Amino acid sequence: MLGALRSALVTPDLRRKILFTLGIIVLYRLGAMLPSPGVSYPNVQQCVEQTRNDSESIYSLLNLFSGGALLQLSVLSLGIMPYITASIIVQLLQVVIPRFEQLKKEGQSGQATLTQYTRYLTIALALLQATGITALAVRGQLFPGCTTEVIPDNSVLNLVVIVVTMTAGAALLMWMGELITERGVGNGMSLLIFTSIAARIPSQGASILNGQGGLVFAVVCVFGLAIITSVVFVEQAQRRIPVQYAKRMIGRRMYGGTSTYLPLKVNQAGIIPVIFASSLLYLPQLLGQLAGNQNTWWARFIQTYIVDPSSWVHILLYMAMIIFFAYFYVSITFNPEERADEMKKFGGFIPGIRPGRPTAEYLSFVLSRITLPGALYLGIIAVLPSFFLGLTGGGQGGMQSFMFGGTAILIMVNVGLDTVKQVESQLTQRNYEGFLR
Amino acid sequence: MTLFLRILLLVTSVLLVLLVLLHRAKGGGLSSLFGGGMQSSLAGSSVAEKNLDRVTLFVIALWVISIVGTGLLIKLNG
Repeated sequence: MLGALRSALVTPDLRRKILFTLGIIVLYRLGAMLPSPGVSYPNVQQCVEQTRNDSESIYSLLNLFSGGALLQLSVLSLGIMPYITASIIVQLLQVVIPRFEQLKKEGQSGQATLTQYTRYLTIALALLQATGITALAVRGQLFPGCTTEVIPDNSVLNLVVIVVTMTAGAALLMWMGELITERGVGNGMSLLIFTSIAARIPSQGASILNGQGGLVFAVVCVFGLAIITSVVFVEQAQRRIPVQYAKRMIGRRMYGGTSTYLPLKVNQAGIIPVIFASSLLYLPQLLGQLAGNQNTWWARFIQTYIVDPSSWVHILLYMAMIIFFAYFYVSITFNPEERADEMKKFGGFIPGIRPGRPTAEYLSFVLSRITLPGALYLGIIAVLPSFFLGLTGGGQGGMQSFMFGGTAILIMVNVGLDTVKQVESQLTQRNYEGFLR
Repeated sequence: MTLFLRILLLVTSVLLVLLVLLHRAKGGGLSSLFGGGMQSSLAGSSVAEKNLDRVTLFVIALWVISIVGTGLLIKLNG
């Protein structure tokens, strides 16, 4: 393992890439600390301190993705969230709008156009979110119960400057992510998410250690390790469907005749179902917050059943949505008929199954069966913190167990595995032994 | 002075957004996010792209300077 690390650093090409990636990450963390102009830094700190133990804050998910920069109203406070939302929307629109579907089928150039659309949408969403957050901060709703003014000078010019700066920050972050993808290691966007989540782990751990004692801390750590192991295990699991290619002669050359396999991952959808489901579950909460009045019957209903992560309604709803989105996402990313057609075109077949429609039916049958354990696993991992919450007695443990149990660990392990695999493929290009055996 | 810095900040922000959008789209959106496994293309960057990078870096520098400047001025005045 350490030898592999050494050879990764000795290779000049790879070393430059790794250093470049680290440099961008450092710049990102610096930018996340830089407060927007016109925002009073001491006042923000005071308010964050006051509302720290408020585990029911609606922004915990958003704040998680921005690495704590959101609540500090920093320049990069929007983080990568607008880009994620934009990509989700573009992805969903591929099912609805025929033009998008056509673009997707066009291959590389169509994909580039789609990415360009995603980028435009990102800027629009960033503008919206920046306006929303600034408005909330001015009206004092960003930190409920904190009376200090976060933005002392609320003239129109100042507010416009803040909104535009935040939007530019989101654009800058998008560019940084693309630079990592192009010149660094791994996928830039997911590495930035990884960074912002990892940045919050030490402080969350410390607050568990201080608030609930060493024993709970140790239990949480052991539990986190166990979850990481199981996540890696399921993430790597795949079913290999054998595919046989027929021999053919083209000119004087012989092609094909090989037998290979089609890998179907157990968790084909990755962590996208979890992100979809949690974003949707935060919506009613956000609405309740915006409506303000807490005494109508539906506000109370939302508060007791949907917002509270330890209520069984919340757990069941979350679980059901994750399973639904897992199937949904697999169905839009993996098209069995297309796969079967491709195999037929290149003279491949699955032993025992005729090419064409029977192959497509077989593939979709296997896929829908294999997705069920994958979806259940995603749901269980994501719901675990809620059980944690019940065990440790509820209250302020919510956010912390959220960090150590569910979405955060899933995202981190996924990104980590992906990055290590990319480094590994670069290493094996030069005949070095890699990290994974 | 503060007003000047604010206007500079506004202009550079808008410029920054436009410049970033001018860059060629890389990556495959969400499918390559979270381990979709799409390999990046091997196409090198063109001369135009390099110059665009340079201009973008310059605008970013201006942007950061005006942010820090505005923050400092507000702090000194307030």
